[in-house]
Amino acid sequence: MEYRIREYMDQLFESAPHTQRAYELKIELTQNLIEKYYALVGEGKDPEDAYNLTIMSIGDVRELFSQLEDDEDGNPVPPPVYYPQPQPDHRRALVRTAAVMLFILSVLPPIVFGEMFGNSTIGGALGPIGMFMMIAVGVGLLVYDKWAHPNQPQPVPGSVVKDFQEWQKRKNVKKHYIAAFNGAFWPLVLAFYFVVSFGTGKWYITWIVFLIATAVDVIVNTLLKAMINQDGGK
Amino acid sequence: MSIASDMIRGHTDTIILAHLLSGDSYGYKINRSIAEKTGGQYELKEATLYTAFRRLEQMGLITSYWGDENTGARRRYYSITQAGVQEYHRMLGEWEQSQRLIQTLITP
Repeated sequence: MEYRIREYMDQLFESAPHTQRAYELKIELTQNLIEKYYALVGEGKDPEDAYNLTIMSIGDVRELFSQLEDDEDGNPVPPPVYYPQPQPDHRRALVRTAAVMLFILSVLPPIVFGEMFGNSTIGGALGPIGMFMMIAVGVGLLVYDKWAHPNQPQPVPGSVVKDFQEWQKRKNVKKHYIAAFNGAFWPLVLAFYFVVSFGTGKWYITWIVFLIATAVDVIVNTLLKAMINQDGGK
Repeated sequence: MSIASDMIRGHTDTIILAHLLSGDSYGYKINRSIAEKTGGQYELKEATLYTAFRRLEQMGLITSYWGDENTGARRRYYSITQAGVQEYHRMLGEWEQSQRLIQTLITP
């Protein structure tokens, strides 16, 4: 029931200005309401009735909330200039998708040219050249994407405490995913390299694995960061 | 009862200051003692009470601080200032004056 009161207050304060003062008022009011609720239960009220009585006793909060828009000296605080809304950026998505597709398709030139020209020296060189070109373009796209959209700190006024909590949470999640990926990735690549090399005996070409792995590393890290940043921006 | 409620609401500030004269207190405690004093006939809405707290604080009549309860539940306490004590006595005098006036006006 205590949880329901907290939930109700969360909803109620969504329409309040997002300021430190509003946050403190919410803490104070919630604390007092919970105390009231337990006093009512202590008097022998049914929990459901006690909850309803408690919520009803809040009354009309419009005047209270309009007060919160004033600062310490009683001057009205200007409304926030803007709240950045996370919006799907189609152009950005396109750039990233193209980069990922290039990485995946980069294995095609060696296969296709290998089939067409067999073992001729010039034809054989075309495969790796095509592959490197595609990887280079893909990496270029991702680097461009990263530079063209630096992560701007979003100036959301007020609610310092909440922002800090969210930032910390975000940071932890981010660290967790990226650490997990980086920890597992390179040992796996190394293992894969040896398995394939010993299995096929084609040591002259299997080192390509490391180039591909680097590309995959960049993609996954970029996507992870982008994903986490987007989640945090809400 | 609605006339009395409206009248009492007009004196919310005085009521709060009167409570704080006898020591620091917090929202729920003040409201509970109002209910007890009136035999459960009157109780402030939370919104009214906290609006008054903010107003009085802005006027410099009361100050607030967060208590340091060990149980984890922290309360915000209010305490009356010197200006608050003066204002209380002024408002009390005003009330006594208007009470006398109304008394003479409404008796035949």
